[in-house]
Amino acid sequence: MMKELNPLLHSQLRLAVMSILMNVDEADFVYLKEKTESTAGNLSVQLDKLSTAGYISIEKGMSGKRPRTICSITPEGREAFEEYVDALKTYLNL
Amino acid sequence: MEERKLTEKESLEVITSMIARTKERYIGDGRIMLMWGYLVTLVAIAVWVMLVASRGQNSWNYLWFAIPVIGGIATPIMARREQRKKGVKTFSDKITSRLWTIAGLSEFLAMIVCVCIQFSTGISCWSAMLAYTLIAMPVTEIAQGLFIDEKSLTAGGIIGLAVGIVTVCCIAAPIPLGVDWFMPMFIIAFAAMMIIPGHILNRKATKE
Repeated sequence: MMKELNPLLHSQLRLAVMSILMNVDEADFVYLKEKTESTAGNLSVQLDKLSTAGYISIEKGMSGKRPRTICSITPEGREAFEEYVDALKTYLNL
Repeated sequence: MEERKLTEKESLEVITSMIARTKERYIGDGRIMLMWGYLVTLVAIAVWVMLVASRGQNSWNYLWFAIPVIGGIATPIMARREQRKKGVKTFSDKITSRLWTIAGLSEFLAMIVCVCIQFSTGISCWSAMLAYTLIAMPVTEIAQGLFIDEKSLTAGGIIGLAVGIVTVCCIAAPIPLGVDWFMPMFIIAFAAMMIIPGHILNRKATKE
């Protein structure tokens, strides 16, 4: 029986953010925006959703006079991502 | 990139594409390494000159403490700036930062031990500290060079380690570490370990 794909991760931008954060220790908002080629508004909304679900942690601070948002994946997020990839494998017969 | 539902195949493509984008090498520039290289070199020259001028008065060795004080203050500031510029902290950044922290702290501890021995027994053991420096620092640098696949660090570390092994053997022999030949050797070792790789990293960072 096929596992259900986590709806929170099964969307382009959120999955992209989670894939990046799985591979780095932490990344700031500008880096994520650049790598995902998304708009600031959209990225901000999706980060909030991932944060509300407990998949990522967001740390807001200042870098000189500019605000800086740093994101990193949580253990729950890591587990959810791994489960998502496992489920994906069953769909793709991998 | 937009917010939309994906097919399973598209999901896989998003994951592989993002992994590829984060696989770029982020070695960073060589500014921190250059700061340490020039700092150690300048302090070593100062100690050398003062030891020669004072005909071996050991108290000039306390000048070594300028290294952890200046370096310890400057490094976190410079590292934070570099981090901001990159926008990302990779796992290799984290590991190399920890490696250097351990090496630096052990170095500071060695200095404290030298001072305690000098105060309690009157015996100068600064040569042992220099030998430890020429083992701990090169080993850390070689580890970093191998980890991030940067040949200039590995090569610099090997040169430093070779000088360190010679130093340890001299102490064990025992062959006195004469100020006139050992200090220049120490300075050359640090130039090979920190200054040359630092400039190479800077040049690579500018090209990128």
